[in-house]
Amino acid sequence: MMKLRLSGLSCGVCANFRRPISLCYSNSISSSSAEVKPKIPLYLRPLSFSASLSELTQWHKWAKNLASSVGSSFVHLDNGPDSTLLRRELNWLLQDLLELQHHSAILSHLESGNSENVDVSVALRAPLEELYCVWRQRIEERRPFQYVVGCEHWRDLVLSVQEGVLIPRPETEMIIDLVENVALNKFPELAKGFWADLGTGSGAIAIATARTLSTHAHAHGRVIATDLSPVAIAVAAFNVQIYGLQDVVEVRKGSWFEPLKDVRGKLAGVLSNPPYVPSGDISGLQAEVGQHEPKLALDGGISGTSDLLHLIDGAASMLKPGGFFALETNGEKQSKFLVDYIENDKPGSFCNINIVSDFAGIQRFVMGFRQ
Amino acid sequence: MSAFIFKRAGNGSSLISQYSRTKTRALCFSQPLHSFLDSNQNSKVLDSGYSSILLKSLKKPRGSFWALQNSSFLGSQNQHSFHLNLKGWIWAGQFGTQAAIEPCTSDGLTVDGITGSKWTILEESESDWRSHAAATAQSIQVIKKRLQWKKLMVRLDMLSVELNKPDLWNDPVHAGKISREHGSLMGKIKEVKTFEQELLEHIDMIKLAREENDSELESESMKALLRMRRDSKDKELEALLAGEHDSCSCYIEVQAGAGGTESMDWAAMVMQMYQTWAQRRGYGVTVVDEMPGEIAGIKRATIKVDGEYAFGYAKAEVGVHRLVRISPFDSGKRRHTSFAAVAVIPILGDVSTHVQINESDLRIERFRAGGAGGQHVNTTESAVRIVHIPTGITATCQNERSQHQNKASAMAVLQSRLDQLEMAHQAQMNSQHTQSLTEISWGNQIRTYVLHPYRMVKDLRTNYEVSDPDSVLEGDLDDFILSYLSASLDKDDDEQ
Ligand SMILES: C[S@@+](CC[C@H](N)C(=O)[O-])C[C@H]1O[C@@H](n2cnc3c(N)ncnc32)[C@H](O)[C@@H]1O
Repeated sequence: MMKLRLSGLSCGVCANFRRPISLCYSNSISSSSAEVKPKIPLYLRPLSFSASLSELTQWHKWAKNLASSVGSSFVHLDNGPDSTLLRRELNWLLQDLLELQHHSAILSHLESGNSENVDVSVALRAPLEELYCVWRQRIEERRPFQYVVGCEHWRDLVLSVQEGVLIPRPETEMIIDLVENVALNKFPELAKGFWADLGTGSGAIAIATARTLSTHAHAHGRVIATDLSPVAIAVAAFNVQIYGLQDVVEVRKGSWFEPLKDVRGKLAGVLSNPPYVPSGDISGLQAEVGQHEPKLALDGGISGTSDLLHLIDGAASMLKPGGFFALETNGEKQSKFLVDYIENDKPGSFCNINIVSDFAGIQRFVMGFRQ
Repeated sequence: MSAFIFKRAGNGSSLISQYSRTKTRALCFSQPLHSFLDSNQNSKVLDSGYSSILLKSLKKPRGSFWALQNSSFLGSQNQHSFHLNLKGWIWAGQFGTQAAIEPCTSDGLTVDGITGSKWTILEESESDWRSHAAATAQSIQVIKKRLQWKKLMVRLDMLSVELNKPDLWNDPVHAGKISREHGSLMGKIKEVKTFEQELLEHIDMIKLAREENDSELESESMKALLRMRRDSKDKELEALLAGEHDSCSCYIEVQAGAGGTESMDWAAMVMQMYQTWAQRRGYGVTVVDEMPGEIAGIKRATIKVDGEYAFGYAKAEVGVHRLVRISPFDSGKRRHTSFAAVAVIPILGDVSTHVQINESDLRIERFRAGGAGGQHVNTTESAVRIVHIPTGITATCQNERSQHQNKASAMAVLQSRLDQLEMAHQAQMNSQHTQSLTEISWGNQIRTYVLHPYRMVKDLRTNYEVSDPDSVLEGDLDDFILSYLSASLDKDDDEQ
């Protein structure tokens, strides 16, 4: 359903951004180029390819076997995906590859292994050769699934992602619940103000916040999303456009609060999921993260808190009285450290400081209000 | 035959759409009386005023109008309000026991009378009006039995009493529920009554035509009777799905029995059977929750089947399914028996009937979480488990692509489980169909699938069997379902 709506929406977008792209490309991306063009995610690409059902079945069998051959070896290696998860990803790849209304019928045909109608031609959004290539990358190079299909489902959004942009995490979804349940429900007037998402990456927090603000009556709230990475800026802008939020979300390039001088002391909310992985942990990260996601998005300095502390300092001067902030952290240690910092080094700046746990029970978020 | 009823049910055919039409009509309080009664003969007298219908019916207890067989229709309460004001009587009329009145022909012949006179039923091709009429009357009795007519009447009486209580709307939720159910029962009853009335009219007509030697009228009425005879067969089938929640979408859950990989593989085959069955029927199918086995198959899984009457059909599958075969996992090629349990949960369409869930009663957990999470991990695994603390009921979903959506799906499953629990409490449904997976006893075997040494599938409840297990496992389940539904509704002889 989401997809139908999206592809409808995206027609104009595609026209602007369409260019010949290959899904199978090398992992390095030149983030130095001044103008980054976002890649079109698989599910938005036209159905310009086809294969016979038997060819597709053959590929699917091969891909499934490749996934099964992994067993739980990646789990033991670095807590990576097991074959069950990889097979589920394979289904999702098919979901994005095929025409929506035929997906489940074709999938059950592939699953049942029956050999009727093998001559039927199936419309695809990518050529079969590419599928062999990208699935091999997924398994052999541990290229993240979300980069393979060019999107991540996050809350009720489907966000484009590509190499150079952090893939939004499920934990981060809860920041929007905090905005909704802690800030807006108690202080509805905040919905009218300016909100900032610092280090927006794919634009996830900014877009979901904008949509939440707009569900609150009479809201004319706006969101400013910043990032230092040109790829992130381009991808975030693309996602904003897909959701038709150009008038609500503004994407600005620059370091943290630096592009926000015009709204100093006026912000109703400051949200961020800044890099918080301690530098020493980077080399030991799961292959999908350490070898493929941008270091700029992960490395938070020696203790992982250098950006978080900078953001607390900034929030104190950028938020208006009564303004809300929520930050994602690495867990209990960082969260407690931040709360200590706020209480000892910023006395009188904030109130109602709280630590909130994610669904795995990890103390993930620090939030509060400007006094 | 099965394909036919499915098609009809799918496009909301006559019986069903009339149900809903009458339902809304009966629900609409401001509707004038004449439109409420528009399809029966009384509408003719309505123009002359509300009181005349009452007088005529009372004066002429038998005749070509509705005969009042039981004056509970004007029970003390209603009579009271009739004497007080006209509006009160209309109210009573709307919520009264229409059921108590029995239609008949001008010479007093009722539908029961027709079956009682045991006219010979000939082939459809024989132009004999008595045969058509008798066949139709017989169908009407089957339909009534399937609708559980007597229970329906008792329930309708109860609801009418409730609806006439002056303080009813002090509790609008309860009132809404009562009036909806009343409306829906009235719809069902009126549907049958109208059909009976039509039959009797055609009989009157054909007799008249014969008396007056009007051959054109006679042949027209004959054709009409034949049409009714055919329609009544469809209605018989449709009456199999007249249960309160039959039209709902549903979840189907399959769980492997003891026996490890063997049973897990069987559970996956059963799940696949339902997926193809549902797909062939044109239902939307989504896997909500799936716990795969270590080597093959599934430990358990839940699919959502979206579409009209999904629950009505699928509920026939609740119970334990047994497989006998040479195991593909046994190098010794021995024969194995495996079990899989099936449960079915209706998804109530009417939000107002949902059990209220307090946020504070829920515990939401990331399923299979471990490690640091957050930026450290990139996984597409975002399963969520929701525990309803007071009941201990849980729901898990991991097949959606975002945690948010997994949570929403798990929440929907939890809602339906709690709704079902509540229904079981109120014993609104045949208790067997409300059993959850944990309640189904492994002794409750409903069907056996034998692949070796011979090949057959046999339903232990109906003894219906086929010798081609492959087609059944490929989703060809309709005949099993229909034979079970008719057997379970037709068995009780004193029901009618
Ligand atoms: C962990 S990612 C979060 C991305 C996104 N908000 C999300 O939750 O998916 C951190 C983001 O901060 C950005 N970033 C790193 N240093 C920055 C800086 N000095 N100023 C602005 N953004 C920065 C990175 O480019 C990256 O997009």
